[in-house]
Amino acid sequence: MCNITKETAFEAISTVIDPEVGFNLVEMGLIYDVIVDEACNVHVVMTLSTQGCPLHQMIKQWVQEAVEKLEGVGTVEVEVVWKPAWNISMADENVKQALGGA
Amino acid sequence: MNAISSDFAPPLKLIAPFFRYGVIFYLLSMMALLFFDPSFSYQQMEVAGWLHLFLLGFVMMVIFGAMAQLIPVVLEVGHVVVDVYYVILPLLGVGTTMMIAGFWLVPPLLSYGGLLVLTGMVIFAFENIATLKKSALRNLTVDTVKWSNGYLLLGILTGFSIALGFAGSVSIDVALMLKAHVYAVLGGYVLLTIMGLSLTLIPMFSLAHGFDEMPIRQAFKLVVLGVGTVFIGALLGTEWGMLLGYLLSFAGTLFYIWQIYIIAMLTVRKEVDVWAKSMIFAFGSLIFAMMAGMVYLLTDAESMLHTAVWFFLLGFVSLMIIGHLYKIIPFLVWFERYAPLVGKEKVPMLHEMYSKEGASVMFGFTASGVVLGGLGLLFECDILFKAGGSFLFAGAIFLYITTKKMLAYGQ
Repeated sequence: MCNITKETAFEAISTVIDPEVGFNLVEMGLIYDVIVDEACNVHVVMTLSTQGCPLHQMIKQWVQEAVEKLEGVGTVEVEVVWKPAWNISMADENVKQALGGA
Repeated sequence: MNAISSDFAPPLKLIAPFFRYGVIFYLLSMMALLFFDPSFSYQQMEVAGWLHLFLLGFVMMVIFGAMAQLIPVVLEVGHVVVDVYYVILPLLGVGTTMMIAGFWLVPPLLSYGGLLVLTGMVIFAFENIATLKKSALRNLTVDTVKWSNGYLLLGILTGFSIALGFAGSVSIDVALMLKAHVYAVLGGYVLLTIMGLSLTLIPMFSLAHGFDEMPIRQAFKLVVLGVGTVFIGALLGTEWGMLLGYLLSFAGTLFYIWQIYIIAMLTVRKEVDVWAKSMIFAFGSLIFAMMAGMVYLLTDAESMLHTAVWFFLLGFVSLMIIGHLYKIIPFLVWFERYAPLVGKEKVPMLHEMYSKEGASVMFGFTASGVVLGGLGLLFECDILFKAGGSFLFAGAIFLYITTKKMLAYGQ
C-alpha cells in the first residue's frame, strides 16, 4: 500500500527554493503535475521560469532529492517540459504581489 | 531545449579574475579621466590610450569572463578547451598594460602589448568558434556569437596593422584603418555581443516571456550589414559607403531598442534594483547617443561626436556591464559555494549577496558622472567634465568595493 499522494509530493517539493527570486517551486507554479503509481514510483512534470536557466540540472536534482526523502518512495523521475510555457499567472497570489505582477 | 548540465559550468577560480581585474581596470580608467579636458581629438595618443584602457581592460575583460560562463548556457554544450581562459587572462591583462604604457609613455611597447592582446583574442575567438561548431543549436544568439567573433578578428587585425603603421613597419593610411578598427570592434564585437547576450539575460532576469523576436532579427541583420559596409568603406576610403553603413547600423540599433521595449512591457519583476536601474539608464543613454550621433552626421560638429561616443561607452556599454555584474557574480559565487549545500542547510538568496546600499551609491555616482561628463563634452565645459570624471571615479570606487565583497561572500 502506497502512502504517498500527490499532495505529500507537492509538499516535499515545496522545500525547494529558487535562489534568484526566493520562492519555492510550487508557489512559483513551476510544478505542473505529480503522478504516483501503485508501486509508489513518482513522476514529476515541471518547467522552469526560463529556458536558458543555468541551474536547470541542479533544480531537477533538488526536486528529485526532495521527493526521495519521502518514506516508502520507489523510483523518482523528474521531467522538464516547456509546453505550456510558464508565465506569472501560474504563480500563487503572494508571488505575483511580491514580484509586482499582480 | 535540452538540459544544460552544470558540468559545463567553468569553475569560479577561472572566471572570477576576469571580473576582478576588469573592475580594477575600470577604476583606473575612471581615475585617468580626471587628467583629461573636454576639448581633444580622438586621434591623440592620450585619448587612444584611455580608450584601450577602458575597452580592453574593462569591457573586453568582463565580456570574456562572462562569455566563459555564458557560452555553455547559450550553446548548450561545454567549451572545447575551457582551460584556454587561464592563458587568455594574463595575455589580455599584461598586453593591455603594455599597450597603455606604449600609448602614454614608451611607444615601442605598443606593438609588443598589441601582439599579446592579439594572441589572447585570437585564442578566444577560435575557442568560441570551435565550441560553436560542436553545438547542434542554431538560433539568433548563436548567429550573433558567430558574427561578433568574426568582426573581433577583423578588429584585431586592423588594430595590429595600425600598431605596425605607428611603428613604421608598414605603410598604411592610419586614419582610415582606425575607422575600420573602431567600427569592427565597437559595432561588430561589443554591440553585437551585447545585443545577443541581452536577449538571453534581460528576459531571464526580468521574467519576461512570450515576446515577438522580429525586431531583434531585423536589428541583427542591419547591424551586421552596417558594420560590414563601414568596414569596407573605410578600407576603400569611400565616404558614401561609410555613411550608408552608419545609417544601416542606426536603423539596426533602433530595431534593437524596439525589441527591448517589447521585453520591458512584458516584464514580470517590477523590483527596481541596481540591475533594473542600470538597464533603464543604459538604454536611455543609448537613445541619447544615437540622437547626438545623428546630429553629428548632419552638422559635422565634433562635440556631438564626442558626446555620442561618451554616452555610448560610459552610459550604455558600462552600465549594461556593471548592472549585470550584480546579477552574474552573486550567481557564480552561489553556484560554487552554496549550491552543494541546498537541502542540507540554509543558503542565502542571490540578492542577499551584495550590499544594496553600496550598489545604490555606486549607481548614483556613476549615472551622475555620465550625465555631467557628457554635458561637459557637449558644451566643452571643463568644470562639468571634471565634475563628471570625479563622480565616475567615486562610483568606480564603490563598484570595486562591492565587487570585492561579492567575490569574497561565504569564503
